[in-house]
Amino acid sequence: MISKLGAGCALGLALLATAAALSQTASPESQSSKPAPEDIPPIRTIADPYPAFNGIAVDAANGIVAMSDPNRKSLLLYDRIRGASQGEASLPIRQILGPDTFLGMIAGIILDPQREEIYTANNDIEDTVVVMPYGASGNVKPRRVFSVPHQSWGLALGNVADQIAVTVEVQNTIVFYRRQVKGVEAPVRIIRGQATGLADPHGIYWDESHNEIGVANHGNFRGVVKNTGGGCAPSFVVEDEAEAGESRPPSIRIFAANAKNDAKPLRVIQGSRTGLDWPMGIAYDAQHDTIVVANNGDSSVLIFGRNSDGDVAPLRVIRGDRTGINHPMGVAVDPQKGEVWVSNWGDHSALAFDSAVRGNVAPKRIIRSAPAGTHTPGFGNPMALAYDSKRDQLLVPN
Amino acid sequence: MTQPRIAVFARLANGDAAPTRLITGQNTLLGRTIHGLAYDPTRDEIVAPNALADAILVFRGAAAGSERPLRVIQGPHTHLVTPHAVSLDLQNREILVASLTGRRINIFRWDANGDATPVRVIEGPKTELGHIVGLAVDPDRNLLAVANTHEILIFNRTDNGDAAPRGRIAGPKTGITDEPWQMEFYQGRIFLAASNHFHQNLYEGVTLRPDAKEVPDDPWLNPILGFMGVWNITDNGDVAPLAMIRGPFSGLIHPVGLALNPKDGEIYVSDSVKNGVLSFLVPQFFPQESPTSNSDGRRSK
Repeated sequence: MISKLGAGCALGLALLATAAALSQTASPESQSSKPAPEDIPPIRTIADPYPAFNGIAVDAANGIVAMSDPNRKSLLLYDRIRGASQGEASLPIRQILGPDTFLGMIAGIILDPQREEIYTANNDIEDTVVVMPYGASGNVKPRRVFSVPHQSWGLALGNVADQIAVTVEVQNTIVFYRRQVKGVEAPVRIIRGQATGLADPHGIYWDESHNEIGVANHGNFRGVVKNTGGGCAPSFVVEDEAEAGESRPPSIRIFAANAKNDAKPLRVIQGSRTGLDWPMGIAYDAQHDTIVVANNGDSSVLIFGRNSDGDVAPLRVIRGDRTGINHPMGVAVDPQKGEVWVSNWGDHSALAFDSAVRGNVAPKRIIRSAPAGTHTPGFGNPMALAYDSKRDQLLVPN
Repeated sequence: MTQPRIAVFARLANGDAAPTRLITGQNTLLGRTIHGLAYDPTRDEIVAPNALADAILVFRGAAAGSERPLRVIQGPHTHLVTPHAVSLDLQNREILVASLTGRRINIFRWDANGDATPVRVIEGPKTELGHIVGLAVDPDRNLLAVANTHEILIFNRTDNGDAAPRGRIAGPKTGITDEPWQMEFYQGRIFLAASNHFHQNLYEGVTLRPDAKEVPDDPWLNPILGFMGVWNITDNGDVAPLAMIRGPFSGLIHPVGLALNPKDGEIYVSDSVKNGVLSFLVPQFFPQESPTSNSDGRRSK
């Protein structure tokens, strides 16, 4: 990693110049123990002091379940067979947290049981994937960090191909890197283009038994694929044509594992019968030959046959007040115990279900990052606000 | 990044509060990257951008759950390109949109719907528009302030096409370094969340930039703190803020979202590092409407 000075960005020099000027003009108060006049404390703060689960992954061989936490910017590893009792917060085996970890607004997470490594995607601002060893704890530096395009969300590992697949929301793209990638390396291939139908891709799985990749799409589509990104402006190219954005129906798109460029998907699950509603995390369940989907919008888990195609209903749905599913973000399959794990954004919990269940059933176990009933603000990098003067309310988007 | 949504909190909510309602779900057509949000008290409507579908969404003020927008501005005639932020000109009944990667400002009638053509578009090399997020209109002076790359640009409100800015608030005294974010306007003053985080993108689209060599430092750890600053919209040059909130007691690290409540003398600021919303009681930041106020918002002595 490099310092801002070495970034080669002209803006960095301006930044440092400004910093120097600010330090030179600092008021006497700011150099004493008294707060400076402008250092005004807030009268109220809405924030969640507890970890909030986004992605989830299970390693049956090593007996752990791991979650990404963009709220407190941490990774948490739990014993996969110990649930919370009496509503208390569960004690993680380890939590990786702190300024050296490079963890920020993280989304997808995967585990590599063979090499005992944790991968998680810094979705916003950092634009990196962080790789930690299983044994990492506290404020530790990653084993590896590699750069990815802005808004990378989902991750999947292909052991045979020896590659990592990464979904990129705004680019409607899947990028692939060699598994050992470190630092700044170009992708080895991409799936991108009109024929792919990718539209705001999120979760991704790699089914090596059938040489397929499945991707969950929200449906936001930017038309012409030519976004040049941003960052160290004004070096990026102006896009001078309208893009004709679209709001398409959500979908699950299954590609050949070795697909590249503007490849057409092998199958597409899309339409009103599917019940898809902002599909987030997605996983392949080899035991039942099914695709498991965290259906965020209607607080359910949908299970489709692997070969489902078109406007088809799910084989099974897990939904209802007894399930505890609350705006789920991630799903993971534990083939050894025959379980499906679900991470909730709507409260501080992850739930383990028997992987064959359907309907309104209670989970077998619950892992909690906060005591049961703790309120959940649910912020995910709120970068705008509005005040509703009619109702005396604050509007906070994610 | 997480769950696309608009969460609604009581103004007096504090701590780990739960929202009183959520606008979320596939029917809402929301996506991530809502970097500007506006409430229209005259029509009781909420206006939100969807950068990933090149759309502007208008909801009723009491919207809840997976509710469809009342109106959707989307299509090839809109010229929207990654619209990150919106602002409202209530007096002139217009919606202003910051199309970030398009480096343009699209202005629509407030009742625009469907594949609507903007009434004006500010774009072109003379505009110097780069990384634009915050927009704020002064309808009385016919000025438009724009939070741009590392400065505030001032345009005439009715500028159209490749117009050069008429003013610029930039330089070391301003304290603005990188990516000034949401901006609001009240009584001659602009209020800015100056994030001062330092975001470097090594990719153009999904293509690695030729000069990308090493992973940058974590932008959230940028030691230059962000702040909330206030300027007169008539300021020009390297001008220090009239008022600001900054420092360790403020809790602000890299503030981004901003909303005003002049009636209660409060300012609301969201911060990406804290992943939270902070409320400040600063009635002194709001000029009073009185005969003793000058036209530029400064109090007479």
